[in-house]
Amino acid sequence: MEQLKTIGRELAMSSQGGFGQSKEFLDLIKSIGETRSKAEEDRIVLREIDTLKARLSSPNTPKFKLKEYLMRLIYVEMLGHDASFGYIHAVKMTHDESLSLKRTGYLAVTLFLNEDHDLIILIVNTIQKDLKSDNYLVVCAALNAVCRLINEETIPAVLPQVVELLGHQKEAVRKKAVMALHRFYQRSPGSVSHLISNFRKRLCDNDPGVMAASLCPLFDLIVIDVNSYKDLTVSFVNILKQVAERRLPKSYDYHQMPAPFIQIKLLKILSLLGNGDKKSSEQMYTILGDIIRKCDSDSNIGNAVLYECICCVSSIHPNPKLLESAADTISKFLKSDSHNLKYLGIDALGRLIRISPEIAEQHQLAVIDCLEDPDDTLKRKTFDLLYKMTKSSNVEVIVDRMIDYMISINDHHYKTEIASRCVELAEQFAPSNQWFIQTMNKVFEHAGDLVNPKVAHNLMRLIAEGFGEDDDTADSQLRSSAVESYLRIIGEPKLPSNFLQVICWVLGEYGTADGKYSASYITGKLCDATEAHSTDDTVKAYAVTALMKIYSFEIAAGRKVDMLPECQSLIEELLASSSTDLQQRAYELQAVICLDARAVENIMPMDANCEDIEIDKNLSFLDAYVQESLEKGAQPYIPEDVRSGLSNISNFRSQDHESSTHALRFEAYELPKPSVPSKVPSVLSSSAELVPITQPSYVAEVHQPASSALTVSSSGSSELKLRLEGVQKKWGRPAFSSTTPSPSSSDTFGSNNGTTQHESISSTKSKVHNVSYDSRKQQTEVSSEKKKLAASLFGGASKSDRKQSYSGQKVSKTNSHASDKSIIAEATSSSDTAAVRPTSQPPPDLLDLGEQTVTSSAPSVDPFKQLEGLLNLTQDTTNLSSSGVSMPDAPDLMSIYADMSSSSQSTTVAPPPNVTKAHLAKQPSKGSNVQEFLEKDALVRQVGVTPSGQNPNLFKDLLD
Amino acid sequence: MIHFVLLISRQGKVRLTKWYSPYSQKERTKVIRELSGTILSRGPKLCNFVEWRGYKVVYKRYASLYFCMCIDQDDNELEVLEIIHHFVEILDRYFGSVCELDLIFNFHKAYYILDEILIAGELQESSKKTVARLIAAQDSLVEQAKEQAGTISNMIAQATK
Repeated sequence: MEQLKTIGRELAMSSQGGFGQSKEFLDLIKSIGETRSKAEEDRIVLREIDTLKARLSSPNTPKFKLKEYLMRLIYVEMLGHDASFGYIHAVKMTHDESLSLKRTGYLAVTLFLNEDHDLIILIVNTIQKDLKSDNYLVVCAALNAVCRLINEETIPAVLPQVVELLGHQKEAVRKKAVMALHRFYQRSPGSVSHLISNFRKRLCDNDPGVMAASLCPLFDLIVIDVNSYKDLTVSFVNILKQVAERRLPKSYDYHQMPAPFIQIKLLKILSLLGNGDKKSSEQMYTILGDIIRKCDSDSNIGNAVLYECICCVSSIHPNPKLLESAADTISKFLKSDSHNLKYLGIDALGRLIRISPEIAEQHQLAVIDCLEDPDDTLKRKTFDLLYKMTKSSNVEVIVDRMIDYMISINDHHYKTEIASRCVELAEQFAPSNQWFIQTMNKVFEHAGDLVNPKVAHNLMRLIAEGFGEDDDTADSQLRSSAVESYLRIIGEPKLPSNFLQVICWVLGEYGTADGKYSASYITGKLCDATEAHSTDDTVKAYAVTALMKIYSFEIAAGRKVDMLPECQSLIEELLASSSTDLQQRAYELQAVICLDARAVENIMPMDANCEDIEIDKNLSFLDAYVQESLEKGAQPYIPEDVRSGLSNISNFRSQDHESSTHALRFEAYELPKPSVPSKVPSVLSSSAELVPITQPSYVAEVHQPASSALTVSSSGSSELKLRLEGVQKKWGRPAFSSTTPSPSSSDTFGSNNGTTQHESISSTKSKVHNVSYDSRKQQTEVSSEKKKLAASLFGGASKSDRKQSYSGQKVSKTNSHASDKSIIAEATSSSDTAAVRPTSQPPPDLLDLGEQTVTSSAPSVDPFKQLEGLLNLTQDTTNLSSSGVSMPDAPDLMSIYADMSSSSQSTTVAPPPNVTKAHLAKQPSKGSNVQEFLEKDALVRQVGVTPSGQNPNLFKDLLD
Repeated sequence: MIHFVLLISRQGKVRLTKWYSPYSQKERTKVIRELSGTILSRGPKLCNFVEWRGYKVVYKRYASLYFCMCIDQDDNELEVLEIIHHFVEILDRYFGSVCELDLIFNFHKAYYILDEILIAGELQESSKKTVARLIAAQDSLVEQAKEQAGTISNMIAQATK
């Protein structure tokens, strides 16, 4: 055992070439590797921290030891412990003369410090000095630190030197200097705005690495201001052409692709330059077509480039031929077995349907497969796609699916996002109010705390306003169904606050309106709810106001009010509440109950929440009273600004008084009688819109979105169009009544539902028909359910025939049958249509374009012309020799990855050690020699870095 | 832009972390815990991408090590997957068939290599040869310095014994 240890240590020492770690460090790593619990690991690390603290602070630690301690410090911090006590030593080490120590120091500070750390100021001076060093490696190390550590305030200190380094003779330095400037630009664009021309200059650098580096800042610049860089379009296209034609040195090849990372960066830039610009786009068509054609779709990197091409094609001015090849590529992605490619396919589809919506149709089954895939990532991407292609015909299916998924996940971040998307889609496309309310209920129930409070207000507004003025029965039906559902839901434990507010408000307004439920029943429910959510003051406030409304409606109707004992105790409790708002509400409730019917009716008119309130800001109705008082000898009112002579104290008191009355006065302005508009107290500002029954600003707000909806609703309803131009509210009154009379619109939607049901029946009936179609597909068996889903999701294009079938409900059985078939036929014949399409479209004049670009590009800047001459001759020979070495490596690495899936399952069961040895011995060609492998293997077991020490397989070589 | 690079072992042990966006120590620990939980539990056939807090994390498993990179929503996932592979290929060439152990004991080397490939969260060099040349130059310089220092340190070591 002892011997093994020595071998292991020696091996570890010899293999790292840099500095020799001491036994201590090896032991540390080893003991941490052997720990079985986090607590044990923490104990070891804490002990190590103590040691390091003592050693680092002792004055006579030799420098080479210090370096190791710093490494150990990095290690400790990597394990998640605080190593801030040693940061200063890292800073000190950057001052050291020796390069090896300096590098370690820089490495440590870049790992330890964020750019806002106090110690940065101590490093700036060193960096300044090192940037001037003769040794380019020192400069490189300093530039690395610059990129990580220099913040807005310290940029000016190093800027001149970095700019100077742009002309450094070593390309590595130039490259890093470009990236450092880029970083400065990201940090504070103002400080380097005068240096932007340097990036253009570096684009023409002789070294492809520097050129590639300059693409990063140029990309950022073009994102902000496209127009100033349109002139570079030709250069970018030329560079891309030369890259694609393999004019760069061989060493930039990656898996037989010519400089793919540079290609991708260039494609990203081109997609920005060509966006909405026909002239620039035309210059790109040829090269894009070439790249798509040439790309190797078997390798990952080839697909990455293809994907970027699709993004570019969908962003620039559309070209039919390119769109077609993009669509082909997408279908290749979607048909692939690899989840990664499917994911990209879905994403690319989402981009392309903006331009050609019809291509979604042919991929419907693939999309549904992805939607039902167990992989969450893929599922979410598919929801993204569905979100983009939602329209009024498929909103129900999509939102239902989204809600189901929303309920099933725990991820807060995504839940919030998908909830807000559901709300957005429902608000925009809801087929009926009933459906909207149900959907909202579901969203609120499961993610109520995550949605914007505005959404709750919209829901209340919808219930209050209903369809429109001319259809009162439908409105009251809507309200009573809302009341009914809320009475059912309110009993459930753990409802989100937002949702409870809506419930309380609706129950207060409409709980007793249809006479179905008695006041005592509803008040009882409300009291229960406040009791169950006793910590939530906002809900309580809503509930008390709701109680007040119900009691006043009772009084106004001439019935006697019997307050339930629990209500009474609730009110009493609130009278003594620490919240002034709740107190106020409770007192008002008490006061209102004692009034007579006529007064109450004036205070709380029935269903008056939508009425406008005229505000008399001058309080002119009091004029007579004031006059009378003055005549009786009262003091006239002195405006506040005139009252300057008053003492500070009283001033202070009056301010104080005022601020407190903000909170108290709030409820008072609920009363419909005109009064001065008050500022809403901050506590309730979020819910202020609807807490009081009537607020002047509220009504004004309602009409704004409604009028804007008018313009869009007429055009945007039927075609497959993504809401790119911002969210339109469909729920304003005028919008609804203006597009179609409300009863008829609800009718069509009702029949819409009907047909989907019919389809499900007919699709099962028509299985015989389907079989013949199915046989033409790759998947021989597609369940009818999936088809149904597909039809309901993608039915948009065949909508016109379907609409006819709606008009004659009787015929719909046969008709929908036919339409169902037509959808499938459409899907299956997608390949046919693809083949037919080119003939039907005007032939794209790609060749002409190509010639144009050639002629136009000839006089322009051609950075690679010189480059070629410089690099090709010298590098080709060396490349040949190096590629000979590199070739065998690459396939090996790939094969590991291929093996992974099988090995991953077996790794939990550790094979006996001798098996691995035999395995290793069998393949002597893999490494340099077997001996080395065995030693490494031995070390693995000896060091036991993993908690399961008996599992040597964990350290199996990457190439094994 | 790449926001951070993580190397996590199958047991959830951190092997290398590099942060290109500012994260406090507390956030770092939280990020690592959260991500290793999500990534390590994913099956082998699934996507190599995970959506996380509005970002995307691209990961790839090599033997017992997971290489993860966090990128923006609109970055090209497949490209980043290949950046990871590019990094691994360079590590492999440098260490001569790299294994987890190499990275455990020589994590500083891995950092130096990473610094030549990525800078400020962007890919700075896609030529393996250039990276290899730079690293070799640094190593040889360090070696020289070490030889000089070695004699002195030996003397000190002898003296202190």
